[in-house]
Parts: sequence; structure tokens; C-alpha cells
Amino acid sequence: MEPGLLDPSMYLVKGILIMDNDGNRLFARYYDSLFPTVKEQKVFEKSLFSKTHKTNAEILMLEGLICIYRSSVDLLFYVIGSAQENELILVSVLNCIHESISTLLRKNVEKRALLDNMDGVFLAIDEICDSGLILECDPAIVSQRACFRMDDLPLGEQTIASVIQSAKDQIKWPLLK
Amino acid sequence: MKRDKKEEEAGGNPFFNLEKSSVLQDARTFNETPVNAKKCCFILTKIMYILNQGEPLGKTEATEAFFAMTKLFQSKDTTLRRLVYLCIKLMADIADDVIIVTSSLTKDMTGKEDQFRAPAIRALCRITDGSMLQSIERYMKQAIVDKDPSVSSAALASALHLAQQNNDVVKRWVNEAQEAVNSDNIMVQYHALGLLYHIRKSDKLAVTKMVSKFTRHTLKSPYAFCQLIRISCKLLEDDDLGCEGPLYEFIEGCLRHKSEMVIYEAAHAIVNLKKTSTKELGPAISVLQLFCGSSKPTLRFAAVRTLNKVAMKHPAAVTTCNVDLENLITDSNRSIATLAITTLLKIGNESSVDR
Repeated sequence: MEPGLLDPSMYLVKGILIMDNDGNRLFARYYDSLFPTVKEQKVFEKSLFSKTHKTNAEILMLEGLICIYRSSVDLLFYVIGSAQENELILVSVLNCIHESISTLLRKNVEKRALLDNMDGVFLAIDEICDSGLILECDPAIVSQRACFRMDDLPLGEQTIASVIQSAKDQIKWPLLK
Repeated sequence: MKRDKKEEEAGGNPFFNLEKSSVLQDARTFNETPVNAKKCCFILTKIMYILNQGEPLGKTEATEAFFAMTKLFQSKDTTLRRLVYLCIKLMADIADDVIIVTSSLTKDMTGKEDQFRAPAIRALCRITDGSMLQSIERYMKQAIVDKDPSVSSAALASALHLAQQNNDVVKRWVNEAQEAVNSDNIMVQYHALGLLYHIRKSDKLAVTKMVSKFTRHTLKSPYAFCQLIRISCKLLEDDDLGCEGPLYEFIEGCLRHKSEMVIYEAAHAIVNLKKTSTKELGPAISVLQLFCGSSKPTLRFAAVRTLNKVAMKHPAAVTTCNVDLENLITDSNRSIATLAITTLLKIGNESSVDR
């Protein structure tokens, strides 16, 4: 078959990445043996980050792969597919990841909140993509299936100190950026 | 003072500088009864975080952690159970004797808790090898036709993964997949179509029949549509057919689909088919031309990248997009600008020769 045409495979997603604004990997999963070793993965991530962290261009080709990305406060989300892939399908995956995580973090899509809810992030991405196969692209369904703990602690049961602490954090964070 | 600095370095990262050995030590907590769900969740997350960072886990230590993890099946906590499934999948290839959890997972997969069924199926299929597959076959067939879309999707997706090693067993699930493809759920439909194609792909007659059935009775899922376009293209190319007949008409019809994803897939397919001539490219190119003016960078990128391809083979066909491409030269996305310039160079040569 001609290289321009896609084989009707169901494995469309080659990788999903989340990095912080220093280019550190917070989440990375490669669904293909594109980069068999961690070292190669890190090299790829480094060049990907250097090309994307200051621009907000949404899409680029890197090493023969299509990389779709989106930034949010101090985080960068990436979805990677093969060079022939339908970009719009990859965008739908990226949007679903972003929106599900936004629900999980109650709209606070930033590094601190992400790290505090890492279990939810793992679960959500597992519901979206299964070994490169797109499992679900509706963020509402993903949130429901990943069973986010929406009722962690009712406000009444939180100690006053913790409420003040979280309020402090919320005031402090935008100032630090 | 010193501690403050350290915390600052970590940037509030609870996973900063995690020591593999200490996390694995923590995993011994799993053996305690009763299970402390919250604590165990955090430890599992830490294990996953370490694996995710690319830290290599030795066979012995992975196996030890895996066996400790099996104790967590005692707890009924939803999040904990879900994290256990996830860890099972991540460790499936590292740890030894992972089939030890088969019965626990089979129980969850057929159990009453709906939330556990789908992820249990996916975890189970990751640890199952050829010899074990026979014993869960019955449950898999049931799951494929389950009313709950998450269960059905999970079973279909897992069947696709399993087919890579055990194609013969999965082939026997064709009737169930056939039933699932009629589902109202768009993802179930997409996964079922993918599995059906996989099962039948060596039998060209069966694929042709399947495609002609779906091209007439419209699918709901845009993902399934894209898949069907790809299958149709493969049939056209394999038979070396030109741009006539129902298959091509189907692809062309997709240019008028309501989802951008499908429209682009169709345009991309038409452009890349070997036998398309300049005349047939027309409708596809008008669609791509429209995308060039989109406010979404991805759409502009997709359009200009495809036009760039066309310009190599049929530069004359792209000349209608001259103005749109010129607008893209100053695009804020550098990839788009570069692609626009190279495309213009290709068509520029040809048209200047004409003049």
C-alpha cells in the first residue's frame, strides 16, 4: 500500500504525554515501540518540549510524528500519532484528556492539583486510550467511568486550617506565575 | 530553612525524588488487614508514577509487589480496586506468575458491580495467555454483547489486543461482534467494526460484503466512518479500481458528512488514492480550501499538509487554492507557514511554465 494511505488499523494513538513547564515528564505512555528505551523517549520529549513550550501553535510534526498539544497554566498535554494520521481524531483525544482532567481537578488544571490527583489522571487516561486504541472520547463518560471521587470530603468536615491553607494556595499560585 | 528550600525545589510535588526501594517497602502495607484504602491508593499511585518515569523494575521486586497487591482484592473501595486493575496491566509484562489474579478478575468481570466489570475485562485480557483464553472465552462472548456499553467496548477492544497472538480463538467471536456492531453506542459500534474487519481481513469477499452493508445502512459514529473510509480505500487499492463504483461513491459522499473529522478523512483518502485524476480531485480540494480558512490551527495544518501532497502529483489541481495558501504564509504556526510555502513553490513552478 502507498505510504500516504492509512492501513485500517485501530491503533491510532502512539503516545500521550503530560509535562510541566520545565519539560519534566509528569505522565508518559507510549503505545508503540517508536522509542524502545527510556533514554530515547526522554530525548524525544526534550526536543518536543523545546519546540512547544513557548508557542501555542497546537500542532507540529516532529521526527515523522504528528504531535498535537495544548497548554494549561503550567502544564503541557500532548497526543502523538503517526505522520499519516487524521489530525482531527488526535485532537478529539487531546480534548477529551484535557476536559476529563479539568473535571477531575475542578477546573484547576495546573501542576500542583494534577500531582495531588495523580490516581485520577492515571484512571482517566486509561479510560480514554487502551494500548493505542481509542476507547472513549466523551469526557462526561470518561469522568463517570473513572469514578472520580467527587465527594472527597464534605466542606463541613474539613478542618478550618485546611480550608485556610487551600485558600492561601489559591491566592498564592497565580502570583507566583 | 533548609527544609523550606527542599520543598520549594520539589514544587509541592509529592512524588519528587521518590526512592524506588522505599516505595516497594511501602507496598508491604498491602498485607495489613483491614486494608487502609486511602493509604494503599497513594502507594499504588506512587508505584505507577515510578514506572511512568521509566524507572526499571526488576522481576523479583515486581513480582513481590504484584503478590502483595493481590491482597487488595479484599477491599471494596472503588478507586482502590480500579488502581489495582491498572497496576496489574502495567506489571503484566514485568512480574512473574501474574495469572494468579485470573480468578479474582473473572469474578469481578461477571460480578454485580457494574463499575468493575469493564476494567476487570481489560486487565484480565492483559494477563491471559493462549492456554488460558479457552477458559474465559464464554465470558468474553457474553461481555461483547452486554447491554452496558463500557463492558461491550472493553471486551471488543481486548479482543482486538488478544487477536494479535490468538487470532484463531478470537475469530470464533464473529457472531457476537456482528451483534455489537448494531449497537446504538457510537464507540461500541466503532470497536465492533474494527474487530469485524480484523477477523475478516484475509477474506476479501467478506470484507467487501461488510463494507457494502455499512455504506448503505449509515453508521452513527464518526470514528467508525473514518475506519470504513480506510477499509474502502484499501479495497480500492488492492483491486486496483478507479474512481467508479459504490466504494468510491461512498468516500466521495463522506465529503458532505456533518463531522469535520469524516470530511477530512474522505478528502485525505481521495487525494491519496493512486488512480484519482485532476477532475475527481475537485470536490476534495474545495473542502480542503475551506479548511485553510478555519480558525482552528489543526484544521489548517491538516488541509495544507494534504494540499502539499496533492501538489506533488497534480500541481495544476491546487492552483485554485493559491490565494488561500498565500494567506497561510504568515500563519502563526510555523509548520503551517512552511507547508504553505513549499506547496506554493510546487504549484508556482508549474503555472509559470504554463504562462
